[in-house]
Amino acid sequence: MTVLPLEGIRIADFGQIIAVPYTAQMLAWLGAEVILIETQERLTTRIWPPFAANEPGVNRSGGFNMVNSSKMSCTLNLRDPEGVALARRIISVSDIVVENYSSGTMQRMGLGYEDVKRLRPDVIYLSLGAFGRTGPMKDLVGFHSVINLFSGLASVTGHKGSHPRIMGGLFPDAFSGCYCILSLLEAIYHRINTGQGQHIEVAMTEALGTLIPEAVIEYTLDGTEPERVGNRHKGKAPHNVFRCLGDENWVAISVENDAQFKALAQVSGNPRWASDARFANPEARLSHQDDLEPLIQDWTAELHVHEVVCRLQKAGVPAGPVLDSAQVLVDPHMVARGFVQSPDHPEVGPRPLGAFPWTVDGGQPGIPRAAPLLGEHNQKVIQELLQVPDDEYNRLLDIGVIS
Amino acid sequence: MAGSFCARLMGDAGADVVKVEPPDGDRYRRSGPYPGGSPDPEWSGMFLYLNSNKRGVSLDIEAPGGRAVFLDLVAAADFLVVGENSSKIERLGLRREKLAETNQGLIVTSITPFGLTGPNSSYLGDDLIAISAGGMAYATPGIPDMVGDPDLEPPLRSNTDMAGYLAGVQGAVASVAALLSRKIQGVGCEIDLSIQETVAAVMPFELAHASYHEAKARRPEIFGVMPNAYLPCKDGYVVVMAVMEAHWRNLMDLAGNPDWAQLEVFSSGVERARNWDALEPLLLEWTMAHTGAEIAQLAQDRGIPCFPAYTVGQMVDSPHVIERGFLRDMEGPGGEKFNLPGYPVRMERTPWQLFRSAPKLGEHTSKVLEEWLGYSAEQLEQTGV
Repeated sequence: MTVLPLEGIRIADFGQIIAVPYTAQMLAWLGAEVILIETQERLTTRIWPPFAANEPGVNRSGGFNMVNSSKMSCTLNLRDPEGVALARRIISVSDIVVENYSSGTMQRMGLGYEDVKRLRPDVIYLSLGAFGRTGPMKDLVGFHSVINLFSGLASVTGHKGSHPRIMGGLFPDAFSGCYCILSLLEAIYHRINTGQGQHIEVAMTEALGTLIPEAVIEYTLDGTEPERVGNRHKGKAPHNVFRCLGDENWVAISVENDAQFKALAQVSGNPRWASDARFANPEARLSHQDDLEPLIQDWTAELHVHEVVCRLQKAGVPAGPVLDSAQVLVDPHMVARGFVQSPDHPEVGPRPLGAFPWTVDGGQPGIPRAAPLLGEHNQKVIQELLQVPDDEYNRLLDIGVIS
Repeated sequence: MAGSFCARLMGDAGADVVKVEPPDGDRYRRSGPYPGGSPDPEWSGMFLYLNSNKRGVSLDIEAPGGRAVFLDLVAAADFLVVGENSSKIERLGLRREKLAETNQGLIVTSITPFGLTGPNSSYLGDDLIAISAGGMAYATPGIPDMVGDPDLEPPLRSNTDMAGYLAGVQGAVASVAALLSRKIQGVGCEIDLSIQETVAAVMPFELAHASYHEAKARRPEIFGVMPNAYLPCKDGYVVVMAVMEAHWRNLMDLAGNPDWAQLEVFSSGVERARNWDALEPLLLEWTMAHTGAEIAQLAQDRGIPCFPAYTVGQMVDSPHVIERGFLRDMEGPGGEKFNLPGYPVRMERTPWQLFRSAPKLGEHTSKVLEEWLGYSAEQLEQTGV
């Protein structure tokens, strides 16, 4: 692919923490020019761990660098009216504005959609909120855990007979980000066709709500609340993770039908399982999981996880390793597909990150570049793009408007 | 699942989506839940959810007649969305190079457990496999929840097809990006999306730990500053988050400013993390004296981010969800009222709308063949579909 799909699109990124930074990052990978507007006085991920070599530093945080790659950084003091004025000038030459401050913050700075529309009538302006920008809970402060707990996702997550658990990986942030990316691409397409910009509002709680249709249907039909079942499944058995050789190793095995179960029995050297009445068909296996799982565990516990996966997959049984995040980044399969990219960063060197989960005609649809140093592109944005003359630039620098 | 959800999102955005089902119907017609109580392929809740804003055509694409019609449909389409495993995609000849000879603009969006290329591409998978191999199961439970006893708490998935929905959204993202590319370059392309990778792609912070320092381990571990904790309360569980000093002081106010709040060992977030073993039981005295709703009310009034674990019913019935109108109102075959999750994005100019409910099996076969392919009544009869 020679021309990236978003070349020529400029984005003013007021994203905080993960969700919107992640959104703008993927658009940057797809060719958009993303100007991240940062304020020295309220840095977040830049000053949070993990740091390269465990040494703190505003350019050394993995949490920042892995959701802000391929962007430009411009540091403005948004508490100063002159800083806001510069932000408005950046917006007036941008196609898209994205933000996930708490409700009302952008408006108070004079950077809300109505203000921005006057500067740029065809602007596409996306606001993401934990609970959205309307409704009685719009002002609730909420991080990923609150969104997880409200949305019902935690309610379907947990070990058998135990309490609701919080999904890992700060999942609500990037998952909401995926809906943001989708709606922005759709809005860009609409603007190409009609010339119209628009406002887009996304609620993280609702993004998560799209994941649990069965539970919503069952509750609204007759008040049934979901049971927590660990890794088990209502229609497949065995369907769980099993310990393998070593301390922290598990294999996931999921059997959907009798043919797969027979293959599992064969591969594990227990062909008699297939003729055991307790395991003879899916219904029988579902009601005898407590008997079946320990038998499988006895087999897997003596083997390396990858050996179990290879043997089962060769026999047509769905299985996979339980990978931790370090293993994900060196997984030979994902590395071979180009999912793992290592942009070279001037201060922390090449660091692997997860790029596009898809390829286009066999290649990655865009290539991540390093995350910007704090304020790295101040001159480029303010002097080259906005044409602010030297003496004015220096004055703004001196009084801390550009910081 | 992933392919169906991806295509639905494209229908939600206004595309004319035609679902091609085998003569015995899509598997989700047999999945339920059934509002009428008994299995009915036209009333499976999951099918209704995954296939609104689509028309439906029934074809046996593995039989010669059906295959010919299918290829005609593909030749007339902008997109082909495929959600099968890679071996089946190869066997059915659904790779773009085979399909695009007469339709250079065709975009094929293929969503498979491990992708179409790479050493594991032939592997079979489902949600459990993807959540495990993508790194999410190992990372669950996630902060501020934590593993209590590693021996009793193996890696965990959610009891829903999370990876399928995630891959559906990412598949739609990839598809619209390809559409924008096609506007520039004039030709379509083949998108090869791996469900394993869609899972890994939504945990950048988890990967950052591995990339910048060290992977988080599956053991009870206190990070950074406290309290940011998931604790039992009188009627359930609650997140108590007061990592900023102002939040902490407000929280101690709520707890009646006990003497221990003044102790040197709790004097900063870092100290409170270091001495969490001593602090946790003290905080538990307070949480166990209140319901989750009380704690949320008290804390949120003072700007402290605390929140209880909601049941599905609490979410569905919350004034917030009702006022925003997030859920779709549905009615079953006997007038049974139920809801489906709605669309999480409000677009000012192109708002989500229900253009049509999910199709009945083969409902639009002749109509689509007439409209897309110009088939005459005679041709329709000959094809026997």
